[in-house]
Order: sequence, then structure tokens, then C-alpha cells
Amino acid sequence: MAKPDQYKTLRVAIVGCGKIADQHVDAIRRIPGSNIVALCDLEPLMARQLGERFGILQCFSDLPRMLEAASPDVVHITTPPQSHYTVARECLDSGAHVYIEKPFTVTAGEADALIQLANRHSLSVTAGHNLQFTPEMLEMRRLVDESFLGGRPVHLESYFSYDLGDASYAKGLLGNQNHWVRKLPGQLLHNIISHGVAKLSEFLDDDLVDIFAVADQSPRLKTVDGERILDELRVLIRDKNGTTGFFCFSTQLKGLNQLHLHGPTGSITIDHSSGSIIRNKHQSDKSYLTYFLPPLRAAREHLRNARINITNFVGQRLHQDFGMKELIERFHNSIRKGSPPPIPYREIILTARIMDEIFSQIYRDRGRQAEDRRQTTDNIKQSEANVSLVTCH
Amino acid sequence: MNCEYTPSEERILVTGSNGFIGVRVVEHLLEYGLTNVRCFVRPSSNLENLKKILSEHPNAKTIELVSGDLLSRDDCRQAARDVSLIIHLAAGMEKSFAGAVMNSALATRNLIDAFLKYGSPRRFVNVSSFAVYSNRSLKPNGLLDETCPLELAPQERFDAYGFGKLKQEEVVQEYAKDYGLACVTLRPGYVFGPGKEELSGRVGIKTFGPFIQVNGSNQLPLTFVDNCAEAIVLAGLRPGIDGEVFNVVDDNLLTGHQFLKASKKAKRFQSIRVPYWLAYAASFFWEKYSKWSNGQLPPVFNTRRCAAEWKNQRYSNEKLKARLGWRPRVPMNQAMSAFLAQFGTNGET
Repeated sequence: MAKPDQYKTLRVAIVGCGKIADQHVDAIRRIPGSNIVALCDLEPLMARQLGERFGILQCFSDLPRMLEAASPDVVHITTPPQSHYTVARECLDSGAHVYIEKPFTVTAGEADALIQLANRHSLSVTAGHNLQFTPEMLEMRRLVDESFLGGRPVHLESYFSYDLGDASYAKGLLGNQNHWVRKLPGQLLHNIISHGVAKLSEFLDDDLVDIFAVADQSPRLKTVDGERILDELRVLIRDKNGTTGFFCFSTQLKGLNQLHLHGPTGSITIDHSSGSIIRNKHQSDKSYLTYFLPPLRAAREHLRNARINITNFVGQRLHQDFGMKELIERFHNSIRKGSPPPIPYREIILTARIMDEIFSQIYRDRGRQAEDRRQTTDNIKQSEANVSLVTCH
Repeated sequence: MNCEYTPSEERILVTGSNGFIGVRVVEHLLEYGLTNVRCFVRPSSNLENLKKILSEHPNAKTIELVSGDLLSRDDCRQAARDVSLIIHLAAGMEKSFAGAVMNSALATRNLIDAFLKYGSPRRFVNVSSFAVYSNRSLKPNGLLDETCPLELAPQERFDAYGFGKLKQEEVVQEYAKDYGLACVTLRPGYVFGPGKEELSGRVGIKTFGPFIQVNGSNQLPLTFVDNCAEAIVLAGLRPGIDGEVFNVVDDNLLTGHQFLKASKKAKRFQSIRVPYWLAYAASFFWEKYSKWSNGQLPPVFNTRRCAAEWKNQRYSNEKLKARLGWRPRVPMNQAMSAFLAQFGTNGET
């Protein structure tokens, strides 16, 4: 590996020229000192169309050729998750740092192996958990560091929704039995939930005591897809310190994308949809003031958020892909400086472990439920059949 | 109706056959007595419209329904096997550029590959769009016809659909050049009719609440869905037109204002009228701000799009009439009545 050089212009390559690659190109072009030198996709047409639109001349359909010809310092992998492990391994072996879109890998085992390989090569990897780096998440981290919560979080809640009705992605997925998303162990959930789970991983200990997951289908999906894809998920997690986390993924709760942190003396609510962060110090007001002051404080918080967002917009700091650009910039800077990558490896692996456990529970239960339904009467409640409690270490 | 151009036993594949235009194309093929038709549909499609058409035609029993994804080469093989004519209507309607290219150009590439390998290719009818044209060099009220230049900077126009269609046309041209694929390209204007309620973006925009009618005196390149379907079918059947490109617009075209006025009679809603110069100025500043702010606001409004959609132009269907023998089956006044009838009240144009 080359010596860190904080003034070095990084040569960046992108492997996988589908929809998300556009966002990477957009973000990287705004980062001083990062230069996209090559694109690669199994479909030459896809690499060419991206190159043509952004003026990137070197387009490849063969990864080893690209790595040899372009010698990138860092490769952004935006291919379907099933290929993340093998593509990343090849890039690391060639001496390139690697940014991998979410989900980092298909399994926690693969995630662990990649990180070990990166360490052996003295290279860095990171996962595309870009929602961890939105302005409101950065402010949340600052508040937590300043002990706003009054100690470690006691309870966390992460809500993540996805609109199946509007997304062309969903149409392609539902219309194609061979879609790569369907081949993931967690199917639709596997491709989406890492953003929401990663928010919990940041504050949970590696030593998890309980994970309890239930899943079902939304009524809309039931009408079009039988019982094959699950799109409603609820998860309860507890770590060895007693911190609990609740995760909710839904395709019915339109626009809900939030994180709640509750500590001994304060709470923080982050709403990604409005780019807001609401601070709440636990305090009791006397008598009837308890009905008047808290709503006024909440109103003041909302006004503060509106002011910050307007100021950021005027100052050109409110790009919709702020989180992605921030994460990429931090990752590239860490490469230049030889400092640790922006997302601790612990969090990446813990996120993958939690996802592994969720999918093993819900799809195992799913199979069991189908069997139960065949054998028992129709009035058995699905929620009862879903119950499971697993210790995960 | 009889088909004088092609043997009725010729197997025809219609992709996008369950779509707004596709259903009508299948219907017209049946009316021509062409029953050896394979309809390719997406597995997730609601086939209600197509099945209704098929149930109304006694000679539709031999129609074959094949479901699949054109991004799958296996599915394309199933679709193209033993086919001699493909009417390719399936299109990528995605908002992302990559998605549009995938579902337009890549799907077309897969389909043509399978056609050449497993079919008995006679002709490939490529249904493209007016969105591929650039009218920047045209003067106001200039004639936009098949000789006009194509958009050279679709990225700046921020039009993923148009970009996908441009790439699709490039793929077809490549195969025509390299493999001698016999192809005909059709570029319909704005296809309207019952089953499609929204107003064309060429009339105006609804982004900011009330409907904003832009220009109003601009002629709309309208084609009623049945007339368009007729042109597409003729492009598959008429001999001696390989390699040709045809614009598809009807006679007696309406202006944006006339179209909106008729629509408002049938479906009450508020609208604001904005002159072209103001829309152009707003697009200019939006585009500049987008660049200046490094894309904080995406360039959804820009001068290229403004010109393409709202500049005063004239359109011609002379080539379509001369080479295909096409005539609009449904005159404009009847077409508008049929379009407006879906809102519950008949409006007069």
C-alpha cells in the first residue's frame, strides 16, 4: 500500500453502473482531490452510458483489466450484493481501498473475511451506510458526545419505510422471479434494511442477548406476490448492557424514516424525511405548566430546524445526497491521511450479524408457518406462530 | 379489414402488449386478420385490458401470451422464437437514467439478439418517441419533422426517458448496420386517449400545486392512441420501408390552450397561464442555479426541456401518409371526445 499523502488526488473507479452509480459519480465530482478515472460493468452498454453522461473515458466490462489499466486508489462497488464479496476481494488484492454499497455483504461471515483481508493488506473498506452522515445524524453524534442523553442510551428506535407503490425498482422486482433481490437470503428486506439497522448498531454492544424478529406481508404485496416476499418487519434487540433497540421496517408507513434515542436525562428524535433533530430534556414543569411549556419547547425545536435547513439551503449545504457525499469524503480523507475509516468495522460486522439473525428467524418461521397452516386450523393467529426467542452471541 | 402486405401465418411478437398503445396494436393486428400473434407482457402486469380485447375478437384464440422480462436473455429467447416480425413497444419509464437505459436499450439489445438467433427476422419495428429530438436549432414555428437533429445533450435536458430512447435507437441502428437487421423506427408525438388521464407535459406542469399552462399557443404533437396503433401496425406490414423513420402525429392538431380548455370542461381544475418567454427565463435561471449550487436543486427545469416541450413548432405527418398509406382512423374531434369521455362528461373542442 502507498504511504498516506493528504494532498494526493485519489484515482477512483466505479464497478457497477446501475442506478446508484449515478449518485456516486455526482457526489465524488463534488469532492476536491477525488477523480473518477474508470467505470466497469459486465454490460458495456451500461458503463458507456454512464461514461458518456459524465465525460469519463475509460469504460470496461472486465474487472481485472480495469484494475490493471486504471490502477485506481479506491474502488466503489455498486453491483448487486451477491457479488460484493468477490469483487471487493479482487479489488483489495489489487491494492485498492474499497467502498461497498449497502448491504455490505450477503452474510456476516463475508463481512468479517473482507475486513480481515483489508487489514492484512493495510487497506480500508467502508459500507454505504450514508444515512449515518446526514446533517441531523452528525448533530446527533455531537449531542451524544456532549452527554445530552445523560449516559448511554437506554432505548433506541429505528423506523425505516419504503414505498413499494411508487418505486420502479419494486416493479422490476415484483415482475421478475429471477431478480437478484429475490435471490438474497432476506430478499427485499436484505437490500433495504441495513440503513435502519446500522443506526442501532452504532449504540448497541457487540454482545447481544436477545433478538426477536417477526415479519409479514403488507396487504398490497399479498395481492401481487402470494407469500414469497416479506415487507413488514419488526425487531426487538437487547444487548448485554441492557440497552434495547426496536427496529421497524414497513412499506405501509409512507415517509417514516426516524431514529429515537432515549437516555436517562434526555431524548433525541431524528427525522430524516424533514432533516430535523428534536432535542428533549426530561424535566418536570410545575402544575399546569406541564401542559404548556413542553409543546412550546417542541415548537421552538421545530422552528430551529426550519431555520437551520433554510440557512443550509441558502449556503448550498442541503444537497439531497449530503449523507453520501459526506461519507465518501470522510472515507477518501481517511485514505489520504491513513486514519481509521468513518464507519468502525465493529458496526459494519454487527449490522451484518443482526441482519443474518433476522433473516434466519423470519424465513425459518415463514417456512414453519406455511407448514403449520397446512396442518392446523385457519384461525391460528400468525403472530403467535411467529414467536421466537433466540440468544445471539 | 384485410391484410395485403403479409401472410397471415407470419408470427408476430408484440412487446409491451398490455400497455396503453400495445393493447390497441394487438386489436388492430386482429382486425387485419393477423392472429398468429405472441403478446409479451410483464409478469406483474394486470392483463385486464388485453384480455378484454382478446375476448371481444372471435379470431383471438390463437393469440399467445408470454410473460417475462426483456432483461432476461432466456425470456427474450422464449419471446423471439420463430417470430418474423417484432413490434417493440416495451419501454423503460424509469426516472433514473440507468434504469431508462436498462429497460430501453439493454432490453432492446437482448430482444434483437434473440430475434436474430432464434427468430426468422423479417422486420423489427422500433417504437421510439418525439423525446429524442432537439428543436434548439429550429426557429419558432419551424417544422419539426424526421430530418431534425436528435438531442445531443440528454443529460443536460435531464430527461431519462428521452435518453433511454436515444440509446435504444442507437442499439437498433447498430444492429441494422452490423447485422443487416431490417428495421423501421416510429417516433410518436404525445399519444392520448381513454385509459390515460394525465395531461401531457407539453401542455404544462403540475409540480407546484395548481396546473401551470405554459405557452398555450404551441401546437401539440398529438396522436390518438388508435391512430398511433394503426401507424405502428402499418410500419410492420408495409413493404419497402426498411431503415426509415416516421413521426406519428394526427391531422388538425390542437394548441396547448385548446387542449387544456377542452380538458377543463370535462374535469374542473384551476390553471395559471405562463407565457413561453417567462417559462424560458425561469428555466434559464433554474438551470444556472442548479449548476452554481452543484446540483442542490436538480436541473429538472432547463432551457433544452423548455424548448422541446413548449416552443412553438409545427409538425408533419406527410411522410407517414406518403410511405405507409396511413390516414388517421379517428378524426381529432372524435378523438378528443373519446379522451374526455373518460372523465365522465363529454367536452367539446
